Amino acid sequence: MTRERAVILVALLAIFGAVAWSAWPHETTAAERVDRITSELRCVTCQGLSVKDSPAASARQMRDLVVQRVAEGRTDDEIRGEFRASYGDWVLLSPPASSWTGLIWLVPVVALAAGLAVVVRRMRAIVPSAAAPSTRELAALRERVAREEALDLPQADGAE
Amino acid sequence: MPRWLRYSIVVGIAALVVVLMLSFRRDPHDIRTGTVNKPAAAFTADRLDGTGTLSLSDYAGKVVVLNFFASWCPPCKEENPALVRVWERYRTSDVVFIGIVYEDATDKARTYVSTNGVTWPTVRDDDGRIAFAYGVFGPPETYFIGPDGVIAGRHIGPVDEATLVASIDKLRAQASR
Repeated sequence: MTRERAVILVALLAIFGAVAWSAWPHETTAAERVDRITSELRCVTCQGLSVKDSPAASARQMRDLVVQRVAEGRTDDEIRGEFRASYGDWVLLSPPASSWTGLIWLVPVVALAAGLAVVVRRMRAIVPSAAAPSTRELAALRERVAREEALDLPQADGAE
Repeated sequence: MPRWLRYSIVVGIAALVVVLMLSFRRDPHDIRTGTVNKPAAAFTADRLDGTGTLSLSDYAGKVVVLNFFASWCPPCKEENPALVRVWERYRTSDVVFIGIVYEDATDKARTYVSTNGVTWPTVRDDDGRIAFAYGVFGPPETYFIGPDGVIAGRHIGPVDEATLVASIDKLRAQASR
């Protein structure tokens, strides 16, 4: 193995090692949990902003509540559940797929599948017949071409 | 277009029309969130006038009208005369009003209460915990709690006298049965 190859191998190992280390599940800190939960919760007085991103007073209070619940040892689901109990699934920026609001995820997929089905059917309909002409038809065509060439007509079928 | 797709589109449009029809029939002030028809969240909070604390449990067995308000909120001023009139009508009965200050400075809330004839008990909710427990989006919001402690109704936006009276009388009638 040349020296260059050895360097490349070491570099690749270092890259894969770093990626594997970063992807390896590690225990999340309380701050990371707060960030994750608040980024999933909708600010109740804002338009489409998460609690994490909103500067509103109510968002700050919601964040304080999440911090407190995390410190109390509540699970993420319990904390989200507390807000869902008051505001419904609306308070989650991404509606859960488990409830009826999961239709929000399902409808685009169904619509896309239906659209693809229509496109495929249309494309099949416009594909020309793949059946090869019979020997008799080929002979007739050749005879016609020869006749027209002999007559030296500019166009066939009497066209001007 | 295939027949099944045509039928699907027709059924989809019909379902959409039905959903819209049902939605338009609903009162936009009466939004059914998770807290309606469920036990009212218990709370203990500091009274706005500084005379100690108030607990919802102190009014168990009574009809409670919970009103979230703020001094910076024009619709709150708009609804306040109706609240005052209805409070005067029921204050000697088994009905209690509780005002909850929503995201407001204590001194401004005190000025609002004193200048607008709010004589029912009011409490502070400085950390917003009561508002979150009830699912409040913003003031004014009014909750009607029955003698059984269950939230029977909710009104978003300025409430009028007729709605207050109808909601209170309905709960009182249920209680007397």
